[in-house]
Amino acid sequence: MFKLNLKIALRNLFRNKVYAAINIGGLAIGLTAFVLMLLYINHEESYDTWDAGLKNVYQIRERHSFFTPDNKEHLQESNESRVGNLIRQKVPQVIAVTKVDPDWDFRTDNSVSVGKAEPIAVNRMKDADSSFFHVFKYRFIQGSESKALSAPKSVVLKQSLAKRLFGEDIALGKVIKVLAWQGDEGTDLTVTGVVEDSATPETAGFTAIMRTGNRDRDPDNPTNSNYCQIYARVNNDTDLELLNQTLKKVYIDYKKSTAPFKKIEYRSYFADGKYLELKALPLAKVHGNRPFEISWLEKLKPVIAICIFLLLVSIINFVNLVTAQSVQRAKEVGVKKVMGAYKQQLIGQFLLECALQSIVALFLAVILIEVLLPSFNTQFHVELSFWYNPHLAGMLLQLFGLFTLVTLLAGFYPAWILSNYNPASVLKGNYGDSLRGVTLRNVLVVFQFIISVTFIIAISVMHLQTNYLNNKDLGFERSNLINIRSGYDQSLVDKIKRIPGVQYVATTTQVMGNTFNVPQEIEYNGNKISLNTVTISMDALSALGVKLLKGRVFSKEYKQDTINTVVLNEAAAKLIGKNPIGKSYKIINQDKMLNFQIVGVIKDYHNEGFDKGVLPTLYKVTHLGGTSSTNNLIVKLNSDKSAAIIEKIKTEWKRTYPDFLMEYTTLNTAFDKVLENNNRFISMIMLFSVVSVSLSLLGLFALSTFVAKRRTKEIAMRKILGASNMQIVGLLNKTFLVLVIIANLISWPVAYLVVGKWLSGFAYRIDMPLYPFLLATIVSIIIAVLTVSIQARKAALGNPVKALKYE
Amino acid sequence: MIQLNNIEKYYANKGVKNYVLRLVTTTIKQGEFVSIMGPSGAGKSTLLNIIGMLEEPTYGTYEFMGEDVTSLNERKRIELYRNHIGFVFQAYHLIDEMTVYENIEAPLLYKKVGSSERASRIADLLDRFNIVAKKDLFPNQLSGGQQQLVGIARALAAQPSIILADEPTGNLQSAQAEEIMELFKKLNQEDGITIIQVTHSEKNAQYGNRILHIADGVVKEDVTVA
Ligand SMILES: Nc1ncnc2c1ncn2[C@@H]1O[C@H](COP(=O)(O)OP(=O)(O)OP(=O)(O)O)[C@@H](O)[C@H]1O
Ligand SMILES: [Mg+2]
Repeated sequence: MFKLNLKIALRNLFRNKVYAAINIGGLAIGLTAFVLMLLYINHEESYDTWDAGLKNVYQIRERHSFFTPDNKEHLQESNESRVGNLIRQKVPQVIAVTKVDPDWDFRTDNSVSVGKAEPIAVNRMKDADSSFFHVFKYRFIQGSESKALSAPKSVVLKQSLAKRLFGEDIALGKVIKVLAWQGDEGTDLTVTGVVEDSATPETAGFTAIMRTGNRDRDPDNPTNSNYCQIYARVNNDTDLELLNQTLKKVYIDYKKSTAPFKKIEYRSYFADGKYLELKALPLAKVHGNRPFEISWLEKLKPVIAICIFLLLVSIINFVNLVTAQSVQRAKEVGVKKVMGAYKQQLIGQFLLECALQSIVALFLAVILIEVLLPSFNTQFHVELSFWYNPHLAGMLLQLFGLFTLVTLLAGFYPAWILSNYNPASVLKGNYGDSLRGVTLRNVLVVFQFIISVTFIIAISVMHLQTNYLNNKDLGFERSNLINIRSGYDQSLVDKIKRIPGVQYVATTTQVMGNTFNVPQEIEYNGNKISLNTVTISMDALSALGVKLLKGRVFSKEYKQDTINTVVLNEAAAKLIGKNPIGKSYKIINQDKMLNFQIVGVIKDYHNEGFDKGVLPTLYKVTHLGGTSSTNNLIVKLNSDKSAAIIEKIKTEWKRTYPDFLMEYTTLNTAFDKVLENNNRFISMIMLFSVVSVSLSLLGLFALSTFVAKRRTKEIAMRKILGASNMQIVGLLNKTFLVLVIIANLISWPVAYLVVGKWLSGFAYRIDMPLYPFLLATIVSIIIAVLTVSIQARKAALGNPVKALKYE
Repeated sequence: MIQLNNIEKYYANKGVKNYVLRLVTTTIKQGEFVSIMGPSGAGKSTLLNIIGMLEEPTYGTYEFMGEDVTSLNERKRIELYRNHIGFVFQAYHLIDEMTVYENIEAPLLYKKVGSSERASRIADLLDRFNIVAKKDLFPNQLSGGQQQLVGIARALAAQPSIILADEPTGNLQSAQAEEIMELFKKLNQEDGITIIQVTHSEKNAQYGNRILHIADGVVKEDVTVA
């Protein structure tokens, strides 16, 4: 029976090749998108799953205000280092605790050299205490967990880094020299172990774990603190609730007992609604809950929605085409029923046919994925693989689930419709019942068009917004501007300045790609105003090429500039008042009143993504009131031969810091990076839109073929009665046209809401334009009419006599 | 074998009852070959469909093999189709995607007949109807007469006790029609299969041993053929 049904299914597919191709091809595309998304989700879900024992590992999070974007308290991944010891001593459930460097993104790479060899840049080398590998049980290829970090000045390499540094040689016992910043003299570390690269991505990822000794001890002075990440391994069967209660109690006791030494009143920890919090988060939950970040799942939601829609569009095609041609199968159903087939057997048969098509589609999808994966990986900066996926078995299980779901979704309704045919009437030649399913079919066509029209509107609006952003005046000149990851070292700066073609060399804490905001409250005319403070060197504003609106920018000619002058940006000037030039404001710094004079106002310039507005900012050169610094050494070139000049800068750098490599970026690259996420999202939407619209149209095309075929007799009769070809084309179009118009009416508000939400994520955006809406409507109508007309014309041009005889 | 008591069938249209069958009472015994005749629209097909349980009467009782089937559940009815009733249609209604062989095999599959038994029965039928050479052809590669032979072979495959045929020769030329009628007669006389057919042809009706004349839903005459 199964064999026979399979045979019938295959024969049916071959008989309706075009229809089968549309069904299967469409489904394959829908599945491809969906499976790619599954792969991506699996990748994100696979974080920190490389060892079963990790279920006992927790990340400790402390609530504090150090280094938060808004200067308020948050539960953070970095903890005061003393918390490490506290937990080790006071929490009984804990077996091992380790303190390790966080991933600061302003940090430079380390320069690592082996013997006399040229140094190479290595990122994510982290300093930890001796317990790191007692918490994270990596498999040691060389060395052992117990001995690896037992002595200071040791380092454990990941397999991949060991290979980079030593090739196939044994790394164990070798010495490497590590420099953390350009002025660093370097530390010699002995390789005491090599661990296996983990199969899945890690939150506490690293290329090497160093034990320099810095992480072993906490600062001596109780008012000083040092921040690091803390991970703990606990006993099997530890109850998280209980663990967190213990942590809380221990932490509060600690805060209470140390408050006097820190010259802080314990009560102040609870002022203004603040409170103390120390929490353990299971490692498995860490990646999905990074502080100050939208979780990957949240970011992925629109993509998930789109993938689901795409799959739905292809399933709808499937359902529509099968129900449309159900008339052809009605007789078979009738005959089989009078032979004694159970209804379930018939449903089973039609589901089998559907399953056959979905399995073929799934195979095609797997092939497509193999083809597309490399470009997908580069687009999304991931390394996904299908066949080499560490979770292949789980993946295949998911695919099987997906296959079942698709088969049921696509097959069940048609199978139900078909198996419900009444044999007495279909065998009489009465297919009147074939009208059954028409309503649903129409609803589905409308749904498909809603999706397509919404996509068309969305991509037009997105296109307009992207154009707007790409051509937006940034407020500074990004061409011929490079940014070296380095502090301001006067002797090096002087050397670089002497290179012909270098116009300015400067430093600033605020430039696109690396911005370090320091909030400050000023007092002007008795009003308190919050501003963002940026410390710069004399030439920085000129190097950035910002536009001066009023007054002047800093210059050597004015002695005062190193004493107490500031330049405001437009946003800050607005808060001050009409004529800020020459006005003074004061700040209170360590009980002293300091006065600053405003000498210039510049146009706001962008230093972050367009989703954020430019903060009201004051720029100062003076050290008065404190300074800040970050690794930005910006160099403005006034020559086209930038490559050659950069080479010369590198040479100067090497002469100054022979063991530390120079890292730099151009501001053009930094700008592209700012737009990158947005552009990637848009190109993806673009791709999906095109695919979904084409799928919908293919579906419509096939559907109109069937409808035209079914109405052959009616068309023939009408022709005999004197209808013109045009009238017949119009007749067939009418039905579909109504559906397309209904779809448009529904799409407009939907698209308005969805696209409006997207636009509202930008601080700089266009107003909602009208014409994408009109465009989408006109395009959808034209395309639908064209598609249907091709079919209708064929039917209309057919010879009526033939059609009637055939019946 | 078949006992119809006061069978009525009507379609209600805007509150008006349009009777198709009125108070039909008759008995058909095992081994009979009955022809139902009458003008177009008389209700012949309806009566046959009711006998075949494809339609339900609006009123009256119907016993098939001593069992009341007016209130039969779906499963029971399907059991009857599998084991006792074979249908033959005017338009043959072979399944287009199946070969001759597979068409004949289909009812056996539903009846869960073992594969060797299946093969021998089909071989037997192909042989008997002289269509061995056609077994791998599809219905659209056969003539009308050949298609109807396959249709009958299919009806016989499950070894039914009764065959219901609605104008089985309606689409055929007289030579082919005669061949089919001869076949029916043989099946009736040699295998003892009960046959009920609807026909417009007096000549075809003569192959059987009893004729029911129907007009306006009423059995007008019930004659035995000499
Ligand atoms: N679904 C229905 N709704 C209303 N009336 C129906 C329906 N089906 C059949 N009829 C009516 O029942 C009557 C009998 O139909 P039936 O098919 O039994 O006739 P018949 O004797 O087989 O005629 P023919 O020789 O043309 O096949 C007809 O008048 C027909 O109009
Ligand atoms: Mg009839």
